[in-house]
Amino acid sequence: MSQADLSIPFRRRAGRAMEDAFLQEALTIATTKFIGLRREAFDAFPEGERLRDVAREIKEATLQHLDRYLEQLIGNVERFGGRVHFATTPAEARAVILEIGRRAGARMAVKSKSMATEEIHLNEALEAAGIVPVETDLGEYIIQLAHERPSHIIAPAIHKTKGQIADLFGKELKRTVPADPEALTKLARGELREKFLQADLGITGANFAVADTGTVVLVTNEGNGRMVTSLPRVHVAVMGVEKVVPSMTDLMVFLAILAKSATLVQGPRRAGELEGPEEFHLVVLDNGRVDQLAGPLREALDCLRCGACLNVCPVYRQIGGHAYGHTYPGPIGILLTAMLNGPGSVKELAHASSLCGACVDACPVRIDIPRMLIELRREVDEKRIAPWIERVVFTSVGWLLARPLLYGLAGRIARVLQRPFVRDGAIRSLPLFGDWTRTRDLPAVASRTFRERWSELERETPR
Amino acid sequence: MTTRAEFMARIRAELGKTRGLPPATPARRPERPRVEAEAIRAELAERWPEALERFRHELEKVGGVFYRVATLAEVVPVVAGIARERAARRLVSWHAAELGGDLGPALTAHGLEPVAMPPGEVASAAERQRLRELVAAAELGLTGADLAIAETGTLVLSSGAGRPRSTSLLPPYHIALFDRTALVESLAQAGVFLELWHADGEPGNRGAVISFITGPSRTADIELTLTRGVHGPKEVHAIFVEAPIRG
Repeated sequence: MSQADLSIPFRRRAGRAMEDAFLQEALTIATTKFIGLRREAFDAFPEGERLRDVAREIKEATLQHLDRYLEQLIGNVERFGGRVHFATTPAEARAVILEIGRRAGARMAVKSKSMATEEIHLNEALEAAGIVPVETDLGEYIIQLAHERPSHIIAPAIHKTKGQIADLFGKELKRTVPADPEALTKLARGELREKFLQADLGITGANFAVADTGTVVLVTNEGNGRMVTSLPRVHVAVMGVEKVVPSMTDLMVFLAILAKSATLVQGPRRAGELEGPEEFHLVVLDNGRVDQLAGPLREALDCLRCGACLNVCPVYRQIGGHAYGHTYPGPIGILLTAMLNGPGSVKELAHASSLCGACVDACPVRIDIPRMLIELRREVDEKRIAPWIERVVFTSVGWLLARPLLYGLAGRIARVLQRPFVRDGAIRSLPLFGDWTRTRDLPAVASRTFRERWSELERETPR
Repeated sequence: MTTRAEFMARIRAELGKTRGLPPATPARRPERPRVEAEAIRAELAERWPEALERFRHELEKVGGVFYRVATLAEVVPVVAGIARERAARRLVSWHAAELGGDLGPALTAHGLEPVAMPPGEVASAAERQRLRELVAAAELGLTGADLAIAETGTLVLSSGAGRPRSTSLLPPYHIALFDRTALVESLAQAGVFLELWHADGEPGNRGAVISFITGPSRTADIELTLTRGVHGPKEVHAIFVEAPIRG
């Protein structure tokens, strides 16, 4: 499966993903492996649990005084010779970057993995402006060659087999290569090494930015982050406004819970340095984030984009990233999509969760994703974005639940009406609700309800 | 285009709407980083063998190779051995002043072709290009390390004059030297040194980049099969020198 077509309803997109036998296998292997690796890492790291709370508090403390920390960051980036730009919308961010590229006379841009640049659809804009974008993260490189989008935040090409990748390299790079990860990686290394040495422009995201020092921090495992920030003449970092942390001490907490390989960049090449970009630009991106500083999705601003909630989510594990249809997949992706594109964009996705809470347990900063999903469901209902049948059912059930006498009566009526549909103590199919009961059983109303048994007990037991 | 003033005004307006948020504070920073850094060094004067053992263990876990030698001179046969096993000869290194000594002649005597990087920036674009091609073609990159973090097996390298970024990045085999003064136990302790390096707000001799290197460059992007050396070094070798390397 390649790109999700948003004109197809989510249910059909998810259905297709579930019929894709290869995708199903890849998802199971990948997510299971990630969960195992994470457990190992945390088992070997006893302070991990405490540090998660510390990390969350740092995020909260920064958001509460975001104005102050951002001003401090800007001041320090400029002090070291960097330039800071502000973009409220994706269009503004693209315009700023294209202008930097134009003035640098750039023909080719090497990129290290960045969800922020995915979010603003930068590659299409660069291409249209005559600047060839080259993704250098191996997974991103593969999906760029295939003209697809990432299906996982940190493993963008998990939906492809090594055989598919070998075919792709054969077709796009005109090179025959065995379907062996080692050989494929070596070929990509050679191809990309050339690009690193040629490119005029290096484009990165930013995992963190340290206010106290004006340092932009990239977490990478491949070393491409270091290439992109060291070899081209101009470096542009695109950063979501919420990525600020106050100090180096705070940064160490995040490196401890997230990753141990990182590049800390403090402005352009400094006097005495042989290498490094002559220009450094930081683009601070809003794109719906600022609205949430006091909004219902505020907690999602704590997200580190680590992908842990994807791996444990029973829905993501079944349908993969593409079926969600937006830049950010998985449980957190639903919230981020709502943040970026408004609640109307997730009227279906808001329900693509069993609210099991596995995501909260996995989240390194313990973001309460289910709570916000419920909020979102309420919002799409109240704003009449949800389908009418859903609104009618929710409204009437809500009304009934608030009236104990009527609720009891409804139970007794249902007990009679359900008779034709009950088999082995469960309702297996129900007229009008066929879609719902197709994959679920509804427990039948008991012959004696809890409330009835409770009042009997109260009568029997002397006070 | 949004101006800085407009952007900040929107943030302030939204922050003004928040109500009843629980108080939160960032991590406690060292008040006097120099004093705390010296305290860490003093503690490690006792505990360094344990820290070094932990570093070795963690480095090996992430695929690095650890060596221990008595003096800087003994580094040469180790480097020569690594080169020989890999049929490699071309070596680029940081400038002698940043490495703690000139190993060039001794490396040459062992059959290597060492080139040390210049002590500072180079004005001529042609010369810069020549150096870049030389580094890109080299098989071995020899550097120092500012910190070696025991709990994660991480080497921390600050760029600067005489210590170009590419030495530890472009060659497939990276070899880093460090001594006791670089050794710390934890990321938290490393944080104290990072605070210290930035304490006076001036960069001093530091360059613009600090790299945290934890083992070789690796990827698992193809069917989650771990593959080394996708962009940066395929191998990372850390050599601990018992005698102080610098100052």
